[in-house]
Amino acid sequence: MSLTPTTGTASSSGSLSWRLLAREWRSGELGILLAALVLAVSVVVGVSSFVDRLQSALLSESARFLAADMVVVSRTPIPEEWIDQAEQMTLQTSLGVGFPSMAVADVDHMALVSVKAVSAGYPLRGELLWSDEAYGDILRDGAIPEQGEVWLAPRLFALLGLTTGDTLMVGEASLTVTGAVRGEPDATTAVFGFGPRLLMNTLDIPSTGVVQPGSRVGYRLLLSGNRDRVSEYEAWVSPLLGQGQRLDSVEGSQPRIGDTLDRARGFLLLAGSLAVVLAAAAITLASRRFGERHTQYVAILKSLGAQSHDISRLYATSLGLMGAAGTAMGCLLGWILQEAFIRLLGSLLPVTPGAAGVEPVLIGAVTAMVCILFFAWPPLRRLGEASPLRVLRADIGMHEAQRPQDFLFGGLSIIGLMWWYSGSVAVTLAVVSGLAVVMGLGFLAARGLLSGGRRVGGFAGSIWRVALAGLQRRGRANALQMVIFAMAIMLMLLLSVVRSSLIGQWQAQLPADAPNHFLLNLAPEERPVLEQFFTQRGVAAETLYPMTRGRIFSVNAETLPEWEEAEGEDAPRQREANFTWSDELPTGNMLVAGDWWEPEDTTSWVSLEEDFAAGIGASVGDRLSMRIGADTFDAEVRSIRKVDWQSMRPNFFVVFPRAVLERYPGMYMTSFRLLPTQKPLLNELVRELPTVTVIELDIVIKEMRSVVDQVARALELVLAVILVAGSLVLISGVRSSLDARLKESALMRALGARQRLVLGTLWIEFLVLGGLAGALASVGAEVAAWGLQTRVFDMNWAPTVTIWWLGPTVGAVIVGALGVWSCRRVVRVPPIQLLREV
Amino acid sequence: MITVSQLLKTVPTADGDLDILRGIDLEIAAGTSAAIVGASGSGKSTLLGLLAGMDVATAGEIWLDGERLSDLDENQRARLRADKVGFVFQSFQLLPALTARENVMLPLELAGVTNAGQIAERYLCDVGLESRLEHYPTTLSGGEQQRVAIARAFARQPRILFADEPTGNLDTRTGERVIELLFELNDRADTTLVLVTHDERLAQRCDKRFSMTAGELQSL
Repeated sequence: MSLTPTTGTASSSGSLSWRLLAREWRSGELGILLAALVLAVSVVVGVSSFVDRLQSALLSESARFLAADMVVVSRTPIPEEWIDQAEQMTLQTSLGVGFPSMAVADVDHMALVSVKAVSAGYPLRGELLWSDEAYGDILRDGAIPEQGEVWLAPRLFALLGLTTGDTLMVGEASLTVTGAVRGEPDATTAVFGFGPRLLMNTLDIPSTGVVQPGSRVGYRLLLSGNRDRVSEYEAWVSPLLGQGQRLDSVEGSQPRIGDTLDRARGFLLLAGSLAVVLAAAAITLASRRFGERHTQYVAILKSLGAQSHDISRLYATSLGLMGAAGTAMGCLLGWILQEAFIRLLGSLLPVTPGAAGVEPVLIGAVTAMVCILFFAWPPLRRLGEASPLRVLRADIGMHEAQRPQDFLFGGLSIIGLMWWYSGSVAVTLAVVSGLAVVMGLGFLAARGLLSGGRRVGGFAGSIWRVALAGLQRRGRANALQMVIFAMAIMLMLLLSVVRSSLIGQWQAQLPADAPNHFLLNLAPEERPVLEQFFTQRGVAAETLYPMTRGRIFSVNAETLPEWEEAEGEDAPRQREANFTWSDELPTGNMLVAGDWWEPEDTTSWVSLEEDFAAGIGASVGDRLSMRIGADTFDAEVRSIRKVDWQSMRPNFFVVFPRAVLERYPGMYMTSFRLLPTQKPLLNELVRELPTVTVIELDIVIKEMRSVVDQVARALELVLAVILVAGSLVLISGVRSSLDARLKESALMRALGARQRLVLGTLWIEFLVLGGLAGALASVGAEVAAWGLQTRVFDMNWAPTVTIWWLGPTVGAVIVGALGVWSCRRVVRVPPIQLLREV
Repeated sequence: MITVSQLLKTVPTADGDLDILRGIDLEIAAGTSAAIVGASGSGKSTLLGLLAGMDVATAGEIWLDGERLSDLDENQRARLRADKVGFVFQSFQLLPALTARENVMLPLELAGVTNAGQIAERYLCDVGLESRLEHYPTTLSGGEQQRVAIARAFARQPRILFADEPTGNLDTRTGERVIELLFELNDRADTTLVLVTHDERLAQRCDKRFSMTAGELQSL
């Protein structure tokens, strides 16, 4: 048989790449790299789509507190074309009108009430709770008062001497009482309105004759629908807003929920950014190992005549194909991952999350591209430089898999990705500074400790000597491995710490024993009655605060413009507020400028809340002129306070010394806590003190607590995903040095070392590596936690003791166990077989 | 066929430059065989690497089948290896991810040969491995692996074959069988064979023998 080689064309050399690639794939080596890439992309896509969907779910969940997704608030009737436009944009609308009025049952029974007229569809989000009679069983059937009907706040029944079925007059209209308002989703937007609530239908407004030009009326156009449509409408209507008109959205309407959401979003985006870093770390390790294992392969190819560009083309093609496949598979897996989360959470979420957009996939694809270009490609590109001489002499050194410039470019691109992903410079900087500390200290510590280790080991038993010698021999690789371990552990620690402190803070904001009712309009002479009422019934109440309505109209003798006259949104203007006096700095307040007065001080001082001070353009030392009723007086700003609005205590913008305000007539307010079983006490209270106003926040607090609980659960779930991703990086890390360790261990066994020595050596090596990495991770996590808590989450930072023992322990245990588990074959398989394989 | 003139190889070390090859002169005619013997560390493998164009000399010249290696860049030297040079190594250097057949096909494919599979099968039959075509190197014995390596070296029908301690990793009997095979194929293909070995018996079978001592080459 005679066979003559036939030479092909250039295209056949192109197809060689494919053939080599197919064989590469079969060898399983590419699979490791592909797995790392799929992991990276799926975690990024999974976390970001989950975050995206969760965010939209949380947003609609908290939209309940606005009764809509967005509200146009106006002092003049909402123009018809605004409503038409909203309907054209397929948004749901509902109109609301609010005004103070007298409700008259008969000549002896009348009360100033806060009227709210609502139209069909109200509320667009959340639920209106009502009952057939005052304090009766709560109904949530989506009803609103029909035309000709009113629902009253429970205490109005006692105040007006009415029961269900009776009629009352609002202006000129006679309306029938058919129910009691027990909870309005948007009640917290007007907690300190005038008097108790009277809910009626907008269809009855004309017949009341109350709404006239010049009346103090507020109009609200409630809007809800698809997020994009709402944003479009916002963009459309914003330029048309005139004086006395504004847009309210979920974030702005409810400070407590707004803060919770902001922080949750910050956390979720942080988690996503960490996923990007972990992805890069996993790819770096995998491609490094791939590169190392392929140096000999390339040397053989070159000795057989393969040229550098053949090698480069082979690996570029491999990487390109793998990148495309990895991205596609990662996106699919990421989608499955988030879908699984959502399904898992499905029963816990009150609203169905919307679809995830394309952005997560885009982020995943770009992450894959950056990881491939900056982390996977450099070691493979350098394979082309491998010397063919390695086929003759295995001791020929390998090229550095990654060079400093690769890490520099890679690092910069990852920072860019994190920035893009989190949309926050502060989040990015906090994490990057933690990572920088880990890397800086890591390389110093790794080199110092690992080289010192051998000297220490020299005096120790043989297991330690062998183990520490091993650590030092692979010093450089160990340093990199340790830094990557440290980074992964740091990111996991960081996320756990931030999660714990966020949830802790949320729970502290809404403690189980927080006051859940406010009581206003208590006359000074009624104080003993109330105190006795509470004492007899065992109700815990906060301090009673005197409250007088007043207006600040000038600063340093310069008259401030009225609200409507002020130019620009932030320009100083006159402000009306509830004034109070206090001998001491109110609980939960913090001085940010100036100091507090002595209790007996009779000087005309005033203390302002910081945002309020900014609103009128006043600072410490300024003289304010104000008016209470017909009286005017001056006071000097003695201090500026930061107020914890998250607390359920009475809080005040303007506080005076007792001597300054005591002479003005005022009413008192307080807050107290009622257990659900004590609820009927409200009827008794209103009967005994018919003029007081009680605001029930228990239902609102319950709702808020449920939002916080759901957010907390979501955070835990995301944390779990990141922990899995981090663990996979640790596994990749352990695997990256597996060949060298297996070979050495196999040699030791071949030389007669007992199983105990081989395993003991491995345990020590990995425990030392993991422990050191964990210690470094603790430092990095503390630095990053400081940055995040003070700069991003607006929280107080305190060192987390847990981190300091958890880091090294987790590091040593996980890395130790993973390492020994990965190398377990060394004591199970005959050494000769291992030596042939490695 | 192979001409070496005043070849010098120096490598930098912590204690200064170290001369590994000190002015080697060598001439091997086409179709003949030559053995280079010497102790470990004498510079044999370094010379082999330079002859195959896998390393660059500090000074001196090498002509391989009429081409001066110092005129060629790395890629051109790789091309020259693909076209004219075959290799047999002490540690076989088979790619573990490829079957015996694919290992033999590899140099043919690198040279753009389209019927590589058929040629590989023929050479594997020639070395007696027709029943082992689809076996992976880890499932073959040492002798079988070296036979695959020999098939791979001859499949490309090289003008020159370099063998680096081809029996170094084999027991005596297997080594002898491999030597027989190597020379048989060499005679059949009329290849120029350059062997580096410790094995005196193997060296004795070559037309020319050289001894390498401390970087200097002497004809025996």
